[in-house]
Amino acid sequence: MEFDFSPVITYAPTLLKGMGVTFLIALVVAIFSIVGGLLVAVISIFTNKVVSWPLRFFIWLFMTTPLLLQLYFLYFGLGEWILIPALMVGVLGLGFHYMAYNADIFIATIRSVSSGQYEASRSLGFGHLRTIYYIIVPQAFIRSVPQIGNNLILMVKDTSVLSAIGVAELVYASQYAISVSFRPFEFFIVIAVIYYILNLFMEYGQSRFERMTADRR
Amino acid sequence: MDFELMVGVTPLLLKAAWVTVDISARAISLGFVVACVLVFMRSIKFIPLQWFARGYISVIRGTPYFVQLLLVFYGGPALGIRLDPFTCGVLVGAFNIGAYMSEAIRGALESVDSGQNEASRSIGFGRFQTLTYVVLPQAAGLMIRSVGVLGIVLVKNSSLVSIISVVELTYQAQRLIGSTYKPFEIFALTAVMYICIVYAVMGIVELAYRRATRYTTLVKRVQ
Repeated sequence: MEFDFSPVITYAPTLLKGMGVTFLIALVVAIFSIVGGLLVAVISIFTNKVVSWPLRFFIWLFMTTPLLLQLYFLYFGLGEWILIPALMVGVLGLGFHYMAYNADIFIATIRSVSSGQYEASRSLGFGHLRTIYYIIVPQAFIRSVPQIGNNLILMVKDTSVLSAIGVAELVYASQYAISVSFRPFEFFIVIAVIYYILNLFMEYGQSRFERMTADRR
Repeated sequence: MDFELMVGVTPLLLKAAWVTVDISARAISLGFVVACVLVFMRSIKFIPLQWFARGYISVIRGTPYFVQLLLVFYGGPALGIRLDPFTCGVLVGAFNIGAYMSEAIRGALESVDSGQNEASRSIGFGRFQTLTYVVLPQAAGLMIRSVGVLGIVLVKNSSLVSIISVVELTYQAQRLIGSTYKPFEIFALTAVMYICIVYAVMGIVELAYRRATRYTTLVKRVQ
């Protein structure tokens, strides 16, 4: 039982490339899931049942089934009709998954904004849409910062699952390097450390941002 | 929709669903034990043990479950740990969810007012008696709910075990798609089975919650 970390150094460029893809996916999915989640929440609260029920159903469906199954469905299932590249499927699948989780949180926080806010805004002359945009949503958004932050941290860890459908991110890059160098332990321990450091940064950022917005909650 | 095919593959998928239930049930029970040990380690006044528990929880929560699974399954042999896929899935699942559960349990225990603890100690209860007769009954409701949520998370995470070739629901679904080329039907069936398992866990949690809080809710109703 001897460890040899020299292949890790040899394949460092591969790992770095994978890390870049992981960062890119995380960034795109973060924006997509937050903006999309907010839109879905607003639409499902402020419209009639014909629009809101299908949205609720999709939120429920994405929250009760495993991420891997959703990814397989998008990749192999939709592959029957259209060919989408794996990276795209990964971003969309992860994006929809966390969009549902974020929408669920936004729905709860939008409901928690007092209805007096709406009435006061309307009586000051704001229209329905302007009230939602300028009064309700900003307050709800600030209130949901801690939970959305938790979801983002979970999301960054879940980017590793995308390797299962062949997205060339960090885990996939290391699997490639392992298939050439036959050193699974060394590579997996190194990428675990990378994810851990990334996670520490995100936790630090989350607590900073929470403190920054604490007085407005 | 090809309903004939759906009926045909149901027995195979049900068998695989049972593997998912089996692996999840074992991992959840073992994970709860791990969580209790971690909570105990953090509560006693022996600094190295506290540090160990804290470091363990931080590392487990800071790395992806998927990477942990791959590390133990493919990297384990380098350390002389050879596990079959099923055992590996149960153990990694349990040690992963245990870290999350220990935080949930600690949160529930800390939610009980510290005056309860002091009052109980001052009327002559020991530390263990205080925990079992005073703190736990009050913390049980919150604890069951938050541990239950993690149980559902584990059921969904158990799909990742298919990567290390345990024949559970997701693995079987993928294999059937390979042989039938009917992805939509099989995914619909698999999703329904996952939803049933998740709702079963939710039902058990709700029953346990009602049983654990039957006296505390009674007190609230009287007040």
